[in-house]
Amino acid sequence: MDEQEKRVGMLSGGQVTRREVLKKGLIGAAGLTVLPAVIAACSSSATPSPVATITPTTPPAATPTPAGPAVTPAPTTPGAPTFIGPLTGQLTVGSNHSDASEVAGMASIDAAFKTATGLDPKVNKVDHNTFQTQINSYLGATPDDVFTWFSGFRMRFFASKGLATAIDDVWANVSSNYTAGFANAVVGDDKKVYGIPVDYYPWCVFYRKSFFTAKGYTVPATWTDFLALCTKMQSDGITPVAFGDDGGWPAMGWFDILNLRQNGYDFHVGLMTGANKWTDSKVTDVLNLWAKVVPFYLHGYAGLTWQKACDSLIQQKSGMFLLGLFMTGEVATVDAANKTTVLADIDFFPFPFMGNSFDAEKALDAPIDIWMASSKSTTLQADLTNAKAYLEFWSKGSTQVLMYKSQPGFIPTATDADKSSYDVLTAKAVSIVSQAQKITQFLDRDTRPDFAGTNGVGSFFLTFLNNPSQDLAKFQKSVQDFWDKLPVYTGA
Amino acid sequence: MSSFAMAGQRTTGNRNRRRLSRVGLHIFLIVLAFIFAWPMLYAIYTSLRPYGEIALNPNGFFSTPATLNLNNYFNVWTAGPLPMFYWNTAVVTIPAVLLTLWISSMVAFTISRFSWRFNLLVLMIFTAGNLLPPQVIILPLYKLYNIIPVPAPLSDNGRLYDQFVGLILIHTTFQTGFCTFVLSNYMKTLSKELVEAAMIDGAGVMTIYRQVVMPLVTPALAALATLLFTWIYNDFFWALLLFKTGDKRPITAALNNLGSEFGSDPTQIAAMSVLAAIPTVVLYMILQRWFVRGLTLGSAKG
Repeated sequence: MDEQEKRVGMLSGGQVTRREVLKKGLIGAAGLTVLPAVIAACSSSATPSPVATITPTTPPAATPTPAGPAVTPAPTTPGAPTFIGPLTGQLTVGSNHSDASEVAGMASIDAAFKTATGLDPKVNKVDHNTFQTQINSYLGATPDDVFTWFSGFRMRFFASKGLATAIDDVWANVSSNYTAGFANAVVGDDKKVYGIPVDYYPWCVFYRKSFFTAKGYTVPATWTDFLALCTKMQSDGITPVAFGDDGGWPAMGWFDILNLRQNGYDFHVGLMTGANKWTDSKVTDVLNLWAKVVPFYLHGYAGLTWQKACDSLIQQKSGMFLLGLFMTGEVATVDAANKTTVLADIDFFPFPFMGNSFDAEKALDAPIDIWMASSKSTTLQADLTNAKAYLEFWSKGSTQVLMYKSQPGFIPTATDADKSSYDVLTAKAVSIVSQAQKITQFLDRDTRPDFAGTNGVGSFFLTFLNNPSQDLAKFQKSVQDFWDKLPVYTGA
Repeated sequence: MSSFAMAGQRTTGNRNRRRLSRVGLHIFLIVLAFIFAWPMLYAIYTSLRPYGEIALNPNGFFSTPATLNLNNYFNVWTAGPLPMFYWNTAVVTIPAVLLTLWISSMVAFTISRFSWRFNLLVLMIFTAGNLLPPQVIILPLYKLYNIIPVPAPLSDNGRLYDQFVGLILIHTTFQTGFCTFVLSNYMKTLSKELVEAAMIDGAGVMTIYRQVVMPLVTPALAALATLLFTWIYNDFFWALLLFKTGDKRPITAALNNLGSEFGSDPTQIAAMSVLAAIPTVVLYMILQRWFVRGLTLGSAKG
């Protein structure tokens, strides 16, 4: 029995156990939440973006696994009563914001909440990774009244298990402050609203401006340009692509964008939900494209953290780096320690285009973070109004900007957020996202958790990267077999 | 004469050979000690350096330092906040150690001093408990901890879950088996006549336990206390799984607080690890004698 069979055997025995889910960090998602370019409304332009009319794509109905519902957000009730006002009692808040910058952001937001309502929330801060891996046992026991989480399947999964409280009444107050893309991202399988979107960050290719200028490189617009640039960098003695796959998820970013570019949004969604098969020749195409980049990756990437990869970009040993906007945090850390100003030298571009019909989609990954209300909290019934007031407070642009000021990697989602405080990189990120016709949430939020786990597709990707010239048909079949043996997801 | 001289030469040769093997042994031990100390020394070295410098250096963590300071220590001490987590550890560890020793000494006393039908069975059950990997019972335990009611002063949510008392209980449960085994073996080595003399003097069971047996097993108790303290102090598993409140974590589980969404600063983790290890190292140095004895306890007689 090889490793993969073992994995399959482990999961095919029926239900995925709670322990297993607990171990894996319980991620994932099926059914992409479409976040069409309506984020455009986040950009300073007040005119509606032409792409705002794009309706979310409904994945084919005949999926054995969850299909991302094409949902209509709850209609706005004009003049719905606000929950924000003088409050009494208490409120417990479960926060995964454990970085110093985010803790500072939370503190200023809670202070503002106290000023507005007189209520001082009690924050239970748990480090991000533990929060994530414990989410199942946390929500099932005595969770805090409200908690930080992620949109998409990851949200719907818990909502469908009755571990979250629907907040349609809060949404009625705040939906006008969100574009349809965000609205769709927080609707559960039962069409009720379960979350308040508070920030997002896009995935792009980062590089150092001065380095490109000095070496005479130009930003590649197409895949051909990209590969040519990689070859040139390699001949210059530079590692073309910084890549560190420790944790298994950075490779998912590569697969996402290559699949979106090569096969388009609809195919990608179908693949994530199970409507399309991993044995499809279109997946072979993507793997063949990927194989062309692998020789340009940083040496020893399998064991490198993304920070180490980022460091090689900072040191100008690597030329380009595909990651989320949060990579600026690492640059800032290094800058602060060495009193340098590398951050001002960082720029990015959307992943190069293939020159096919999907170029127009300008698709990319841009995960959304949300706040939710739990259901099993022992104090929630007493604190319900306070909890709803807190969620409503987070939907304000002014609140989200407080977090943004501490952690510039998190772009506010609210339409009324003050864009004048955005730095150059954020403004550019907002503009790239607003031009995108189709937006995905990232593989581990878009497909089912037991498939997306580090023992699932993450390790399959690593198997592929270790030997891109292997028998792809056999490889793809092993991935599909893994999927087929997962228990049937019943949804809500 | 010649045979005498030869004998003398042989002695010198033996001595040389012995000295040589002694030198070899010491070289071996020094190398071994260095290998054992390496992770700790390396952690200390890393903790003294700013992460940004390591990040930019081509040799990374293996580079020579431009800056060495205690900034990481100050940062984790305040950002932690570490005193709170040390306190949490004390709140869990000290009662758990005392409770374990108290309960296991009573069981051991009963098993070793009284002959009854289930004597061996009880000892076997307690010993078998040592073989059970704690991870196996986490699911039912989690469920139980969420339904067992606990009154207010001991629990702030009416359950065992997310409570210090819950953590103390599970540690006590898991350590009692081993301690019972060790203590009962130790008590069996005490001379029967002492207890018999006490009985003739009219001492009851509790008096014999308190005034005759307990003072005599003090060395064993001290050794076990040292071991238990280290084990419970180092626990990561229970503290992580049975707590949801970040601020209630003991120091070991609090190390996780330094991780963040997209990564972490290894130099700060190194600094906090060193700080977290200090109490056990200090305790070991003070109680080294007991510690070593603790490792061989119960091995003399089974």
